[in-house]
Amino acid sequence: MEAAELKAKLKIQIIEYLNLLDFTPEDIDDEDQLFGPKFDLDSIDALELSVLLEREYGIKMEDPAEGRKVLVTVNTMTDYILANKKEA
Amino acid sequence: MMFIKDLTCISPQKTIQEEFFGTEPIIYTGSQLKAVEPSYAEIPRSQLRRMGKSNRMATGAAMPLLEKWKTDGIIIGTTDGGMEDCHRFLNQIVKFEEGTLTPTNFVQGSPSSPAGGLALMSKNSGYNNTHSNKGLSFENCLMDADLLFIEGRAKRLMVGCVEEISQAQYKIETLAGFIKQEEISTNKLIGCGTAGAVNGEGAAMFVVDFENDGAIAEIVDSEMISCPILNDLTLKVKLLLERNGLGVADIDALMLGYSGDSNSDYWYDDFAKQLFPQTGILSFKNLFGETPSASSFATWFAANLVNGKPVPPMAVQKSVSGELKTVLIYNHYQGNQHGFVLVRGV
Amino acid sequence: MSRVVVTGIGVISAIGNNASENHNSLQKGGTGIGKAQFLNSKYAEELLFGEIKLSNEALLSRLKISVDSKLTRTELLAFVAFEEATKDAGLSKEELQDFETALLSATTVSGMVEMEAIYADANTNTEPSPFVSSYRSGAHTLQLAKAFGLRGYTDTINTACSSSANSIMQGARMLKAGKAKRAIVGGVDSLAKYTVNGFNSLQIFSDEITRPFDANRKGLNLGEGAAYLVLELEEDTVGKTIYGEVRGFGNSNDAYHPSSMSPEAVGVKGAINGALETADLQPFNISYVNAHGTGTENNDYTELHGMNQIFDVVPPFASTKSFTGHTLAAAGAIEAVYSLLNIHHQEMYPTLNWQTQMPEFEQKPLLDFVPNTEIKHVLSNSFGFGGNCSSLILSKV
Repeated sequence: MEAAELKAKLKIQIIEYLNLLDFTPEDIDDEDQLFGPKFDLDSIDALELSVLLEREYGIKMEDPAEGRKVLVTVNTMTDYILANKKEA
Repeated sequence: MMFIKDLTCISPQKTIQEEFFGTEPIIYTGSQLKAVEPSYAEIPRSQLRRMGKSNRMATGAAMPLLEKWKTDGIIIGTTDGGMEDCHRFLNQIVKFEEGTLTPTNFVQGSPSSPAGGLALMSKNSGYNNTHSNKGLSFENCLMDADLLFIEGRAKRLMVGCVEEISQAQYKIETLAGFIKQEEISTNKLIGCGTAGAVNGEGAAMFVVDFENDGAIAEIVDSEMISCPILNDLTLKVKLLLERNGLGVADIDALMLGYSGDSNSDYWYDDFAKQLFPQTGILSFKNLFGETPSASSFATWFAANLVNGKPVPPMAVQKSVSGELKTVLIYNHYQGNQHGFVLVRGV
Repeated sequence: MSRVVVTGIGVISAIGNNASENHNSLQKGGTGIGKAQFLNSKYAEELLFGEIKLSNEALLSRLKISVDSKLTRTELLAFVAFEEATKDAGLSKEELQDFETALLSATTVSGMVEMEAIYADANTNTEPSPFVSSYRSGAHTLQLAKAFGLRGYTDTINTACSSSANSIMQGARMLKAGKAKRAIVGGVDSLAKYTVNGFNSLQIFSDEITRPFDANRKGLNLGEGAAYLVLELEEDTVGKTIYGEVRGFGNSNDAYHPSSMSPEAVGVKGAINGALETADLQPFNISYVNAHGTGTENNDYTELHGMNQIFDVVPPFASTKSFTGHTLAAAGAIEAVYSLLNIHHQEMYPTLNWQTQMPEFEQKPLLDFVPNTEIKHVLSNSFGFGGNCSSLILSKV
């Protein structure tokens, strides 16, 4: 899957998993800090995002430290998925 | 015991919009009376997104009060609060065969989630407790609050209950025989002669004070018993009245938890006949439905009535003569847990 | 004002099926955490648990009272501990059934432990399972009331891990305020697929035996258990053994996050200070602390941080969760019983499995069993999800 297509899909999934009521995919910029003030996410949301990676892309993050590097922006998540994607 | 300073209620009636008293109540058909909910505009969307229905309703009912009044603690009663989230998590366990699961449903599914969430949102680090004791949860909250007042550890508290209709729990209660199978209108519910109750939901929240500081009503006292015989009930009520210097004649009306369940409504008939044969009788479950915390809705209702609000004709089971100042609420849940709350005007 | 004292204790946990067995294990230092035998979950193969070494059938056979309905594991554990405590206190049938005898219990899992049954009742069953009325919180309390003919105040508190500390607290307060003459207080939680998966989704399990207050701690082990205490006013206890006094209690909310505690330990300090204040004691009066000590990064840091801010010299402290696992709603009551054993036998129990000093603090938990030492006042901490923090002070009479 191409990066652009993946980013579009990922934004929809992020909104769904985190139930971000007020956001559409267009509201999420690729470089927005996911854990910055725009979205007001917390550690439970981080766990939800790691479940998203596993359920949708078959990638299991074993180490919480890894999560802190991956779950930063849509771009970092996309790069990680493209590098690690297995069949879900 | 304590004085009600302020109160809100989300229920199957238009209680949160304050359009309930003096208007035609909503008549429901069927056995699920869903809450009429507000817009929740005041809840930050970042928190609302995660909330299950009971957390949403508890927040919608309590936060306006918590923003207006500073309280020394928050005490919540709920049994079915978070139940839908509970079952969502359970279903995840089964669907994904105990694989990686999302935690939100688990955290939101805990009955202690509303009290914790309210503390978080109102930044209240005072006393905090959750009573999850089915039909006696509200009476438990009252005891808890009363103790804090007696101990001098609080002057003002947030006390209340929330329950949601969870489709999963509804199915379970149906299997257990507690839900009415017939399609009946709520204005024909009481005395309909068939088994089962109709399920309600909502949140009834109170700011209560140790002293009368411009109170709306007084919660004088409360009692409870599990699996009683009729004689136990009359003994309990006599104790309750005596220790407050009251007699049967001081009760202007009974508010009884008639649910339309022919298997268990006889308790109310027998009790009224035994101890209060002349006293007027009001109902509330034909308006608000049955929930484990039904007595919190009854208390909200009674507090408003003793404060001068007009009595909806649909609530009158036996006419009340004279001034409505002192109301004795008697409610049981599924015939097992029986509670009393005495409410008086100020 | 008359003191609230404990005249009966009952406890069942991974380290013993009654108070005496629990006591022996605490003295000898053997953990009850290991491979689960009865837990129906795939995690029984992967993780370690503080499971009670009895099946449901074995638990049922220990009960003196006969019950007419099928009991869940939660109910069975509650019944076992309730019977032991009330027998220990020598309560007669009349006393149990008195209007002025209160029962305050606590649970988080309740009947959800019967996962197959609840799933079937909620989804596929056309006939109810035997457990259909047992799932919701409050079910076991009602069962106890029904079986033993209890006619007084009943309550079921659910504030996650501080639940039974709160039920003990409220029972004591009711006696002091004259709202009850005696109170049976405590709580229960059983190992359940539901809870195991819930905690796993929060990623706070350790894959090895828990290491409370260790620099390399990885998380908690889930346990199960039940404990009840019989509380009476001292003036009513002529001729009875008194284990100790419920002297102080404090509750405070962190108001920080749904499942972790504030780094400033707001709730921790509020609870401990509240307990000291109601006990009319100073921090230096505390002989020993039974810490909450779950072995998670967050709790153990916050708890020790809070204690450092209250105590000039932090007293000897330990986490008995290294023996039992984290018994959730039962933890407050089980650990209150252990605190009473500290007082009754004048000894201190250690933390097991500790190896490495936490770099942020100079203190480490007690590592050895200490007999024959003066114990006057024990602080027992229980901190729950949603920031609900409770502390009890149990004292020698």
